[in-house]
Amino acid sequence: MSRHQYAMVMDLNKCLGCQTCTMACKKLWTDRDGTEYMYWNNVETRPGMGYPRQWDAIGGGWKDGNLQPSPIPSIDDYGRPFEYDYEQRLFEGKGKPVMPTPDPISGPNWDEDVGGMNGDDNFYFYLPRICNHCTNPACLAACPRQAIYKREEDGIVVLDQERCQGYRYCVAACPYKKIYFNEIMDKSEKCIFCYPRLEKGQVNACAAQCPGRLRFVGLLDDPESPVHKIVLVHKVALPLFPEKGTQPNVFYVPPFNPPKRGNYGKSILEDPRLPLEYLIYLFGPEVKDVIQRLEAELVRAQAGGRSEILQLLIGRDAETRYRIRPDLVQINPINKA
Amino acid sequence: MPTIRQASTLELSPLLRGTTGGFRRGVSTSPDPSLVRRGTHTHRYRFGLALLVVLSVTAATAKAASQPAGAPAVNLTVSAAASQLPADALLDPTAAAWETIASRQVALNRTPPLYDTDPPADSEISSAEVRMVRTGGKLLLRLAWKDATDDEAVIARPPATPPEQRRMKEHSEASNRFFDATAVMFPTNLSTGVVSPSLQMGDLRLPVTIYYWNAARGAMLMNAQGRGTTKRTGESFPARGVYRDGVWQVALELPAVPAGVPLAFAVWDGSQQDRDGRKYFSVWYRLQ
Repeated sequence: MSRHQYAMVMDLNKCLGCQTCTMACKKLWTDRDGTEYMYWNNVETRPGMGYPRQWDAIGGGWKDGNLQPSPIPSIDDYGRPFEYDYEQRLFEGKGKPVMPTPDPISGPNWDEDVGGMNGDDNFYFYLPRICNHCTNPACLAACPRQAIYKREEDGIVVLDQERCQGYRYCVAACPYKKIYFNEIMDKSEKCIFCYPRLEKGQVNACAAQCPGRLRFVGLLDDPESPVHKIVLVHKVALPLFPEKGTQPNVFYVPPFNPPKRGNYGKSILEDPRLPLEYLIYLFGPEVKDVIQRLEAELVRAQAGGRSEILQLLIGRDAETRYRIRPDLVQINPINKA
Repeated sequence: MPTIRQASTLELSPLLRGTTGGFRRGVSTSPDPSLVRRGTHTHRYRFGLALLVVLSVTAATAKAASQPAGAPAVNLTVSAAASQLPADALLDPTAAAWETIASRQVALNRTPPLYDTDPPADSEISSAEVRMVRTGGKLLLRLAWKDATDDEAVIARPPATPPEQRRMKEHSEASNRFFDATAVMFPTNLSTGVVSPSLQMGDLRLPVTIYYWNAARGAMLMNAQGRGTTKRTGESFPARGVYRDGVWQVALELPAVPAGVPLAFAVWDGSQQDRDGRKYFSVWYRLQ
């Protein structure tokens, strides 16, 4: 158990699906040889295939204290990167439209905005995903090289590139498929929760760039941090697939769209825009309580009262959304000694 | 020379397959203190009985080697004949000269599933043929084994120019493929006497040196002092492999290892997702 634990909350009601977080992460961390197909941060349409395809159904994680088997996704499950033939078409006068090569057959968020049906009505929402920096990481347990470790000072899960031999047991073990194999370097890689930024007092790049201001970052064990308040005090954010047993430290405020017909007299759960079963699939049965809690706050605010949690979730400024504590976690005193 | 009992190694297989003991990784020797500090080790290794079996065979091998000529029982040796053939020519594993050199079959065992998440693998490669010859101050070795699938590839090497100065980056062509490979393991200290290191990548007292060849990534020199400690040294050595008609032939050029030294062989089958300890292995043999 690490002494502190960084955590992130993402409010799914505010996600635009714009992928600015994805690009912020890509430019900062995965613009290298062998990393083209990797998106340490991705945003996928739900319901949907996800990235990599069917990651939520193929296995990994824990059951009864045992790691669960899983295949390693193929490059086409992630989406094979393609390039456009600008030179041939635009400069060599081939006279055909600019085309991607190889022909794209899959990709991250390939089924953008397709979603699912709720009766006669289409519904979808966006799910941004990073490594969950789990308290009980399956990847760490699966690695025979002890290349993955959880930072004692802040709970961030990192992968030591020196120790990694590219065996990919971690890729299989992670139930969220948030570890990627770099075939050029023969090493696996993962989200590092932007720890070099945190150590300088800067928030994660994905959070800093988010136009929807839906990400909250801080130490889960810091009573002043927004994540502590949202997750532990107001209890309105839940981890994804808690039954996978890894105890994620990324939490989601579930989407609680208004009722379908706009009938203010009705409860969200009476006439839901998003089928409750699907939210239960993602976040477990507790999601119902969370939605009821949020709806009660909404009712109070609509009646002219003040809701502390809704004010917090608005997240007007960076000071509200983030509480970075480089003073607490910058250097591990154990290593210093 | 006493007859070699191939069965002595083959008999291991059912025993190994039958081991389902719950040894935790913490039980095995972990020499690097930083490893101990880092890990919650939650895997179970099914290696308890296997380890005992391997140790007893190792002891038997050592005993056999120390016995006078004509002694019965297990004798696991591989001979390296002296030759005038140029080493360069023998680096071609298909060179006709290899066929003139005495061969012997080395029985291979399949490791049991190492991790709870490992799907069981069929034992498809039961043996490898070994030919060894000493020439020009080198020990040349050719390993050949039947493998129904050719798992090799050319993987781009990162260009010398840093990625940030290039418009195009090299792409990972695949995320889930593994490659055929082979290796020969020696004690790092070649004068171990009758004692062989642990077959599981040596041990603290007797570290091992591994000459590893991979059908995509080439030859790599590694060392280890126990399970989970294998390190790439960054050095390479001359080696060439050719896959033809369902058979891998791989020639390795090693330093002149003296007679009497223990050595062990391993083969990985890429299509069975072999890597790490998921492989085919021989017990310790003695070089003659």
